[in-house]
Parts: sequence; structure tokens; C-alpha cells
Amino acid sequence: MEFGWTPKQNEYRQRVRTALDELLPDNWDEFYVKRSYASDEAMEFSRWFCAELAKRGLLVPHWPTEYGGNAGEDWEHFILGEEMKAAGEPRGGQYMNINWIGPVLMKYGTEEQKREHLGGIASGKVIWCQGFSEPNAGTDLAALKTKAERRDDHYIVNGGKIWTSYARKADWCILLVRTGSERKDITVLLVPMNSPGIRVASYSGLVKDGHLNEVFFEDVRVPVGARVGEENRGWEIITHALSYERVGVPRYHVGLEALDMMVEKLQSEGRWDDAVIQTLAGELVAKFEAARLLTYRVVDQRVKRQPPNTDANLSRICSLEAVQDLMDFIAQFAPDALAGGHLLLDDYYRINTPAGITGGTNEIQLDLVAQRGLGLPRK
Amino acid sequence: MDFKLTEEQSALVEAVQAILGDHSELTVSNRHGFCHFDHKLQHLLLENGFLDAGRDLGALEAALVTIEASRIPATVEVGASAIVAARLLPDERVEGPIALIGEGGLDKPVRNLPVARTAFVESGDDVLVLKIEAKDVEITPSIYAYPFGRFRTEPDLTRCQRIVGAAVQLRQWWRVALAAECSGTAQSAIAFTIDHVNNRQVLGRAVGSYQSVQHRLVQCHMIAQGIHFLTLRAAWSGDPAHADEAACYAQQHVQKFMVDLHQFNGAMGVTNEHLLHFWTYRLRALQSEAGGAHGAARSIARARWARSSMPKVAGGRA
Repeated sequence: MEFGWTPKQNEYRQRVRTALDELLPDNWDEFYVKRSYASDEAMEFSRWFCAELAKRGLLVPHWPTEYGGNAGEDWEHFILGEEMKAAGEPRGGQYMNINWIGPVLMKYGTEEQKREHLGGIASGKVIWCQGFSEPNAGTDLAALKTKAERRDDHYIVNGGKIWTSYARKADWCILLVRTGSERKDITVLLVPMNSPGIRVASYSGLVKDGHLNEVFFEDVRVPVGARVGEENRGWEIITHALSYERVGVPRYHVGLEALDMMVEKLQSEGRWDDAVIQTLAGELVAKFEAARLLTYRVVDQRVKRQPPNTDANLSRICSLEAVQDLMDFIAQFAPDALAGGHLLLDDYYRINTPAGITGGTNEIQLDLVAQRGLGLPRK
Repeated sequence: MDFKLTEEQSALVEAVQAILGDHSELTVSNRHGFCHFDHKLQHLLLENGFLDAGRDLGALEAALVTIEASRIPATVEVGASAIVAARLLPDERVEGPIALIGEGGLDKPVRNLPVARTAFVESGDDVLVLKIEAKDVEITPSIYAYPFGRFRTEPDLTRCQRIVGAAVQLRQWWRVALAAECSGTAQSAIAFTIDHVNNRQVLGRAVGSYQSVQHRLVQCHMIAQGIHFLTLRAAWSGDPAHADEAACYAQQHVQKFMVDLHQFNGAMGVTNEHLLHFWTYRLRALQSEAGGAHGAARSIARARWARSSMPKVAGGRA
């Protein structure tokens, strides 16, 4: 048992930090908080930034060399994610490509699909969005209604997706469609976002610009060759994808950065000597550190090629509880931060508003751990 | 970063489990109290070298032994001997069991004092090593599932061995030890409760099938897992901040275990015969030790924000 980083991993983390220092503009914090990493401007910036990362071998370090990676260990990928998130995620939505869209294509894609897409993702120039949720199919994803009808060598897609981050600037959509009458008759399609019949509409919300979009599909023609895996067998692919997504965001790392900012603000206002504030801040550190270790456990399992289990769900629940406690700490002791007093804390608060909902609600995570992890009865 | 036990660590855990296996049940007569201290098991753990794990193998191994020993409903004293004493007196063995006494605690009831033969007493910046005889201590009635007692008269500290400047170290390793005990104890209390809710029927359904029960049990499980790995990291690294985090996380969640686990065991859980309290009332006793969650949290805060806020890279193992 070992809880430390190897010298090589420490060097790697330093390499990532150096790249961030060199690549991010001086006004990055201001640029980032004004727009958010899902804004159109940030998405365009991500095309340049990710391409630069790719040139330095820091975009897909853990991917196999045949797909443009360095065959690095999974820990490198995770260290990269920690540092990128802490810096305000300058990769924009491309973190999804790297974390799970690429790996899904490696596992389930045809050779042609791999050739077509993995190179683009590894070069950092392609933006994807995730066409999963619908107005009546979020938590209950298998209730989705967007339909694809087979016509000879192509499908005709009709329906709509919602809460589709990055859709305004995305080049491609990894789309879930209904292709049969059974509940899990779901198929995965890879659809260019400039296809005739696709329309994107944005709407405002509690999170920042660029996250809340609707995508409408009207008689969109998608070749059968763009299908990932077999028809009606998409559920396995989604499950695989979500198992990657659940530990994809190192919330403990970003949370501790935000907590540092919060304490700096309290110190600058002469309020840090308050014993209650110190106690709550210390307790938050302990919670984030617990989340860190439960997450590292999952990464360790992945490194050892163990099959996914509910430990990933557990790590996510743990992270979320710490995040929500920090949001409450900010609102209680620095209310002005959410009214123009601290743009980065405001950004942290807003970005995390849906943290218990996106990628499978917290209640679903709890159900999964209860029934599959602890063996509690379903009925 | 490697969460898998080495072959040697796995062998150690299996070896201690083999001994504990014979002591994992409480006889009917032992079930009717608030606490059962297993003197025979204490002797076996000593005789087989498990209480020397901290000296012979390392703090992580000592924490593993402490966690395992905390899983059974009977009580033994492992954490203070295997973890704390090994760090404070690495080249010297003191007679156990050992009680730990914080600053100003000499006139208060102390955990394990009725069975202890030595106490480490926090005294300013130093630690005093106090020899204890059974006649010096009176047992205090307690709801906690540890033996509690107090000194009949104030002990003479003038002839104690003094470990100069060791108070900070005592606090650090006490926190690791109590977190280790919380880890094993909480995991057993949860496993016991899961078994109960899987079998107990209410309104025609197993109690454990209700979502309100499931979600709260998962939260308890999550906390217990967090305590477990924070404890092992603190033992591995020897970093005082890690010890603070482990104890803080364990102690701030004791109330959650108390409320939820007793709630799910229902009225059965308030009878002495139902074993739950042998674990939960140990957690309650550990909740306030070594400064409690509040003290550990303030220690975390002072340490973290008095130095660089850059994420810390773990150092070598203790």
C-alpha cells in the first residue's frame, strides 16, 4: 500500500503546470470567469489550447500510441485532469473527448470510426457534445424518445435533446437514439453537428453561458456506418461511458482550490480568527481529502484493469457532499462573493449548482451503491 | 499510489483475523453489559507480537492491526500500544494496556484506565509515562463500550518518565489510533446493520428495501470508507496534517452513525442483547478524544493556511 506519488509522477505534474503557465494568457482568470469554459469564446480558445497541449504530448498521454497517445499510465491522465480543472478547465468541453468519448470509440468503434475520429480528438481540434438527456429522459435515460428509423444504408433521426453543453460550437455529437420498442433498444450514433436538420437553441439558467442548450433533430440523415456497436445494444456502451465519467471530474482538487480562495478572502477581511469559521474550513478539508482518496482508489482499480464497480459511484457521492458543503460555506460566510464580490467563487458556485444532477443524479448513485455494492434488496 | 495491500500486509491481516475469529462472538452473559473487555484476547495479541507491529513493521501495519481488532464486539486495547507507544518510545516497551490522557484529564474518567498498566499523560509540551496499579483506579459506570475509570487520588507524577517535547507527537498518533478504531468499529456496525435490515420485515418488506434506509446506509458506508483510507494514509505518511484529517473526518461523523444505525436497528437496537451498541458506543467514546473533531479541524486550518496552498505531495512513509 502506497499513498505517495513517484518522482516521475511529480515531474509530470510539474510539466503540466509549466505548460499551463506558458499557454494561458495573463488575463486568463478574468477571461475565464467572464465567459465560463462552455462559452463560445472559451470553446474557440480550447481549439488552440488543446492543439498546443497535443504538441507537448499532454492532451491524451494515457492513450495508446497507435491513437496518438504516449501509452502513459492512467495516473498521468488523472494528474492532468486535476491540474486542468484547478486552472479553470482551459480544455473546455474537450475533456469529455479525452476522458470517455475516445475510450468508448477505442472499445466499441469500427476501425473506420477510429481512423476518422481518434486522430482528431488526439490533435485537440475537434469539439464534441453529448446528446444524451431529453426533457423526459434525464435520470431515467432509458426513457429517451429521440428516434432513429432505419432506411437502407442510413437512419433518419427525429427528436430533441436538452442540457447539451457545448452544442453551439461542437463539431460532432455522440447521440443516443431509440431504435426499437423495448425499453433498452437504444443505439449510439456519431453525428456531425452541421448535418442538415439539426438546430441548436440556447437558454439561460443558474449555471453559466454555454451549458444549457437544446438540440433539435428533424429528419437528420445519419449513415449506418456512423453507428457505434450493434443496433439496440447502446446501453452497454452508455454504462461503460458513464463509469469513466463518474470519476472524470476531480471535484476535490477544484474544491480545495476554491476553499483556499475563500480563506484568503476571509483573511483579507480580518475574519479568519473566528473559531467557527476555522472549524468549518478544517472539516471541509477533511471531507475533500476523503473524496480524494475514494477517487484515487477507483483510479488505482482502473490502473490494475479491475472491472468497474460501485466504488466510482461512492467516490462521486463523497465529492458531491463536500462540494455542497463548500457552496453553503461560501454563501454563509462570504455572501458578497455571489453578488459580484468574488468572481472565481461565484463561478465555482454556479458551475457546481447542478453537480448532483449531471452524469446521473446523486439519488441514482445512492441506489446503485445500495443495491449493487451493499447488496440491499430492491423490493 | 497503490491501494492494494502487499503480500506481507495481507498475511498480517489474515494472521490477526485468525486470532480474532475465535473471539468474534460474545457469550450470552457478556452481552448484557455495556462493554466486554476481552483480557484473554488482549494477552494473545501481545503474545503473538501484534501489539509490536508498529515497532517491528511500521505505523501502517499497526493501523491495519488496530482496524481489524476494532471489528469485533469485544474490546481490546491495541491502538495506544501498537500505534502511539511505538512512535513515542520506539526503542522501549512499556507494559500495556495503555491509556491516553489529554491535558487536564487526570481527574476525569479515562477510557481503558481500569485495565491499563501504563498511561501516557499530556503535560504541556511533554508526555509523562505513568505506571498504574489496579488499586489506583476505580471503575466508573459508563454507557460507553470501553472500560472507563478514574484515579482514586491524584497520581504522583514526579517519578514519571518524561518524554520531552512529545506532546505534539502524542496528539498526532492518538488521532491516527482513534481513527483506526473508528474505521474498524464503524465498518462492523454497518455490516451488522445491513444484515439486520436485510432480514427484518416491516409492512411486508425488508427494512433494507426502503430507499430512505438505503441512501442513509450508503452514506454511512461512504464515510466509513473515507475514514479507512484517511487513516491508512495518515499512518503511512506520518504527516500530522493527515492525522488531523483522519480524526476530524471520523469524529465529525460519529453522530451520523449513531442516529442512522440505531434508527435502522429499531427497538431491537436499544436492548443490550442486540450487539450494535458494542460498536456504536465505542464510536461515541472516541468522538471527543484528542481534541475532538473541532480540535482536529482547527489544527488542519492552522496548518493548511499557514503554508503554501499548493496541493501537497505526500512524503515518505512513517
